[in-house]
Amino acid sequence: MKQTEKPGAPGQRFWDFFASVKLSFVLLLSLALASVLGTLLPQKEHVSVYVQQFGETGARLILGLRLDDMYHAPWFLLLLALLAANLVICSLNRLPLTLKLMAKEPAEELKRSRPAQESLTLAGTPDDHLERAAAALRQAVGPVTRGEDGPARVLYAEKGAWSRLGVYLVHLSVLVIMAGAIVGNIWGFAGFINLNQGSTTDHLDLDNGAQIPLGFGLRLDKFTVEFHPDGMPKEYRSDLTFIENGQEVQKAVLMVNHPAERHGIDFYQASYGQSVTKLSANFIRDGQTQTVALAHGQWTDLAGGGKALLIEARPEVNMGGMYKGPVARVGYQPPQGEPVALTAFQAGAKVPMRGGPVSVEILELESTPYSGIQVKYDPGVWLIWVGCTLMVAGFVVAFYFAHRKVWLRLTPAGKGRCRIEIAGSTNKNRLGLTRLLERLSARLAAGAAQGE
Amino acid sequence: MEALSNNLLVAVTFAYLLASVGYLAGWIIKKAPVLGLAASVLSWSALAAHTAAIILRWLASYEIGADHAPFSNLFESLVFFGWTLALIYLIIELRTKLRPIGAFAMPLAFFAMLYALKLDPAIKPLLPALKSNWLIAHVITCFLGYAGFGVSAALSLMYLVTGKGQSPEDRRFLVLDELIYQNVVVGFILLTAGIVTGSIWANSAWGTYWSWDPKETWSLITWLVYAALLHSRYMRGWQGARVAVFSLVGFVCVLFTYFGVNLLLSGLHSYAR
Ligand code: HEM
Repeated sequence: MKQTEKPGAPGQRFWDFFASVKLSFVLLLSLALASVLGTLLPQKEHVSVYVQQFGETGARLILGLRLDDMYHAPWFLLLLALLAANLVICSLNRLPLTLKLMAKEPAEELKRSRPAQESLTLAGTPDDHLERAAAALRQAVGPVTRGEDGPARVLYAEKGAWSRLGVYLVHLSVLVIMAGAIVGNIWGFAGFINLNQGSTTDHLDLDNGAQIPLGFGLRLDKFTVEFHPDGMPKEYRSDLTFIENGQEVQKAVLMVNHPAERHGIDFYQASYGQSVTKLSANFIRDGQTQTVALAHGQWTDLAGGGKALLIEARPEVNMGGMYKGPVARVGYQPPQGEPVALTAFQAGAKVPMRGGPVSVEILELESTPYSGIQVKYDPGVWLIWVGCTLMVAGFVVAFYFAHRKVWLRLTPAGKGRCRIEIAGSTNKNRLGLTRLLERLSARLAAGAAQGE
Repeated sequence: MEALSNNLLVAVTFAYLLASVGYLAGWIIKKAPVLGLAASVLSWSALAAHTAAIILRWLASYEIGADHAPFSNLFESLVFFGWTLALIYLIIELRTKLRPIGAFAMPLAFFAMLYALKLDPAIKPLLPALKSNWLIAHVITCFLGYAGFGVSAALSLMYLVTGKGQSPEDRRFLVLDELIYQNVVVGFILLTAGIVTGSIWANSAWGTYWSWDPKETWSLITWLVYAALLHSRYMRGWQGARVAVFSLVGFVCVLFTYFGVNLLLSGLHSYAR
């Protein structure tokens, strides 16, 4: 099992350390403990949240150890990397031995003498019982190898040698899953699109704030919500069209649990709402009022100079006892000078208005439904599913199959009698083997009784 | 149908309590093995009624138009958890004929059901995010796994309670040790399958197979603890009592994953977005 290097050499000690189950035991529990910490501390919050909850010093400690995004902190990733190294080295260390155990010649095994776990004495010579015993052994275990040891007849059979590879399958699967996560992190991206009904986008906003092109157009044809009679939402549905080179190339229906895909990019129904597209408002300047229609992000010229646009609007905002109703933010570019942002409330509402020569009152908001679409490209996800499948398959092999060996030794016991000794060995589930040997013994006794 | 199902569940809960007492009495009063036998008969009947109640609830859900399998909320998951606990224990009883285990395992089924009875049993339609066959597979595998861990914990408790002064070479001890391990194995495979099916569901519902939310993370913590337990056998000195204590710690993680996360950590993160 050990490599050829001399024990005690630094390289060997390093190797042994990384091959040990003790290290994996410690690593598994450390990862568990760290994860507990990650569920107790709020993750990915703003600095102020930590300062408020844990004070200056506490917050500095948390940020210093990257506990605010613990699962991506260097030390947490290091623990995972150590586990991977542990797995690889442990497997490399043990695989040669395992292969040797699997390939062992039955003829060689036959010669090994094992202490008997069951024995019985029957009338007749060993040769009288040989065929029956061989048949019983083949049925209980597998193909039988025969041998002789002086007057004694020896039978040997084994099964499930291949099951020794189950553990390797499990350990490999952990590495495959890790590889899948890494591939996804390096080459994948995740982002979000808020798309108004009727509009088209050709890019998305990544979670890290950047924008990237999709490589095709995505249009939201229609967004609908269905409700149950009791008012609970039943289904959210976005009807989409993918557009390439000005051509409609694919229609798709997006529902929760029913994503759509184009060129490896996946789209998920994530949220929805009403987005204000047009504001009809009273624009009051120097005591003069004009009614204007302002569009989202699009300057409209005002009579008498200057221009205005709609920055954002909410159909309903509740400001306690002060105000309840629509609120809009309007950008105003005076004929001369810097542009300013104005806050607009419902016309006629009693709100303590900010002073100033210019103000805006909302007359009407026009809105369309929008759909919030989660977007993901993950080239590693197939590795995850392959790894998961390998893992479960590996468990079944590792836990429910064993490498079992059984020896039968038939010796003359004098007075025309024959003694049968049954020995067995297994790499796991000793009780299961004991039961197997007991059954075999009972079968041999019963078979002999019948044969008489 | 719904009312019949609910009434059956009350009866089943009571039966599990009686059976627990029966197993305990049968174990303590060695001269009356008939008590243990009675507890077995009662448990099997209760399991049959429990099965019927779940099927009735399933049918009722389609009758009133909610149209989903009965694995969707805390009430239904507890009822299913109780069912899996009783089932796994009875399978072990069938295989080992060791009725005293029932004195430790059946109370778990009873407490799961007792908790369920305190909740609102109304059948409600599903939120869109919960409409997924993967979610059904997820719930079934998780709870069978939890039940494996639960029975293993019951066996561990029995090992620790009855263990004083006995030789660890005692065959009965070896059987208990082996059963603890086997149930952890069952739990571990099913928990793994549960995490995998949960990931598949999350991937199709939210577009991410893993997002480190507290519920997910706690299932991983539980998984890591049991993975460590499985490896502890390959280290010197890790057998018997130590593994039994480990299995109890693992089950505490299971309980926290199941109840604690919702009760204690919900202030920090919300699970269902
Ligand atoms: C998340 C990571 C891991 C998982 C899920 C895992 C899983 C397993 C499973 C299921 C078994 C079979 C246990 C049994 O038969 O009772 C096993 C055995 C084993 N594992 Fe791991 N393991 C992991 C990491 C490691 C690491 C890092 C090492 C490195 C030393 C390791 C070393 C071993 C050894 C030596 C065995 C015994 C193999 C045998 O029966 O010959 N495992 N592992």
